[in-house]
Amino acid sequence: MTGELITIAFNALIWSMATFLIASGLTLVFGILHVLNFSHGGFFMIGAYVAYTVLEQFGATVPLWAYLMAAIVAAAAMGTAGAAVDQVVFRRLKNFEGVYVLIATYALLLVCDGFVKLVWGLNYHSVSPPESLLGVLFAGGAILPHFSIFVVLAGLLTFLVLEAVLNHTSVGRTLQAIAADPWMAQVLGINVSSVYRWTMIVGFALAGLAGGLLVANQSLSPDLAGIFILQAFGVVIVGGMGSIRGAFIAAILLGFVEAISATYLPSYPGVLFFATIAAVLILRPEGLLGRATT
Amino acid sequence: MSITRIKPQHFAGVMALLIVAGFLLPHVANRGIVFLGGVVAINMVFGIAFNIAFQKAGILSFGNAMFFATGAYATGYMITQVPQIPFLLMIALSGLAGALLALITGLLALRRSSGVYFAVITLAVGELIHVLITKMDFLGRNDGMVGVFRPTLDFAVFQIDLSQGDSYYYFIILSCAVLISILWVLWSNRFGRALQTVKSDPMRADFLGTDINRKRLQALVLSGAATALAGALFAPWAQIVTPDLAHWSQSTMPLLFALLGGTAFFFGPVVGAVLFSVLEYNTRTLVGISDLMVGGLLLAVVLAVPGGVLGLLKSVIARKPAKSLVRKEKNP
Repeated sequence: MTGELITIAFNALIWSMATFLIASGLTLVFGILHVLNFSHGGFFMIGAYVAYTVLEQFGATVPLWAYLMAAIVAAAAMGTAGAAVDQVVFRRLKNFEGVYVLIATYALLLVCDGFVKLVWGLNYHSVSPPESLLGVLFAGGAILPHFSIFVVLAGLLTFLVLEAVLNHTSVGRTLQAIAADPWMAQVLGINVSSVYRWTMIVGFALAGLAGGLLVANQSLSPDLAGIFILQAFGVVIVGGMGSIRGAFIAAILLGFVEAISATYLPSYPGVLFFATIAAVLILRPEGLLGRATT
Repeated sequence: MSITRIKPQHFAGVMALLIVAGFLLPHVANRGIVFLGGVVAINMVFGIAFNIAFQKAGILSFGNAMFFATGAYATGYMITQVPQIPFLLMIALSGLAGALLALITGLLALRRSSGVYFAVITLAVGELIHVLITKMDFLGRNDGMVGVFRPTLDFAVFQIDLSQGDSYYYFIILSCAVLISILWVLWSNRFGRALQTVKSDPMRADFLGTDINRKRLQALVLSGAATALAGALFAPWAQIVTPDLAHWSQSTMPLLFALLGGTAFFFGPVVGAVLFSVLEYNTRTLVGISDLMVGGLLLAVVLAVPGGVLGLLKSVIARKPAKSLVRKEKNP
């Protein structure tokens, strides 16, 4: 029984932190630019494929440093893509209605899908976890793979770093000022459009980083974006759009919902998840930690 | 972007052209193209049903696939399990099912949210429906329903066997023409104009005594019902119903048709559905290219020609002094 409970809690944490890794960039971009970015999942997917291509050079056994390096390469590549996308697309969307922006980011997601199919094809690819993380840990009757512990720690670390930067540095305070009132920030001499660009770069780099860190144990296929963007959307919305802390809490909440439904309702995967999202949205449309605006 | 209105005689003219084109198609094209033609006609209804909520009432739904799938599954289920029900009644019941689902969604979500938030709620509800469909034994789970045959229309005095030759194709063309005409009436009559006021200036509409929430709910129910009717027509045409119909990527199709053709125009989704099919048909064998094309096209339309193809055409025509087919709506 304790073994089962530990397994549920652990599975919940894995799901939470994996999804939080993806959702962090999404919620950051929404918080500052107020753009709900469909294509985030697409860039996460391309990040995973980039990491896969890097790791292919190492053959069957991948050392940990190479795995981390591949994730950083993926983050850098997607950060660059973010700068390009900001220049070509988001900059022009500034004065558009929210719904048109949403449609444009969906179009970008399709472009990402097509790009992946064109470059890497339709076949499934896979990467095994780095060799030093192949072992497992036994805890009270539950089996905890080292790689999963690694994912949980990576998620936690990402959360702590983002929290620290946003709340305890001058960069973070600048970002909060812009999120609250971009016009006033501009008047006070802050280069808002440069901050927008850097937010996009960091947001996309986070998508690439998530892709690189989570690439092991995934079956890489062009469906990856769709699967994860819905999870990440759920987390971002339930948490309150734009709130990193809210996304973190929502990720844990939804992680438990997923883990419990996987254990007790195995034949209905996802039902409880979407029902929870719908329920939260209906009862509290602004999300758990969101501000009640528009 | 102002809404453009069409005179009734122009509407009738365009419809006559569409019907004639639809009826000529089987005589000039092979069976594959004829099948595509039927799908395009259904997609026109799918697109207009979306656009009437989007353009007229300002409701962006990312979950219209759930209404389409509801209609298709309802008809598929009745044809395979209770074939004694008259086919036209099956279609009507399927539309009712879509209206009901839209009513529930709207009652739960429409009052508390709008814009992007409502879009995401419909996305979540749609995906919930999608997952549920893949888990229901009586809906065939992941395999869907096969053997959805084309039934016989029974008019007591005479019967039409829709499984013969192209007869179901003609049935689709005529049914879609009827649905499009009904949607046009609702687009341009008092109801449509009331929706328009709700979208353009909700506060003033509220002051003038319009029940905004009620109007928005009505628009969503109309959209859901019409979408489900399109789905109902689709089931016997494809003869198979699969959960893919409820997938969220399917929800973006009507949006694409409307934007491509021009959301401000009643016939925007019609033009969009035709253009999209032509483009998709010609890129179908190129892996990845079709996604790149659809995505790139959608992006280009949003960024460069927000008025869609018809909007572009209109601005070209407007530069000439010649009479134009579409005229700007006069302020009341």
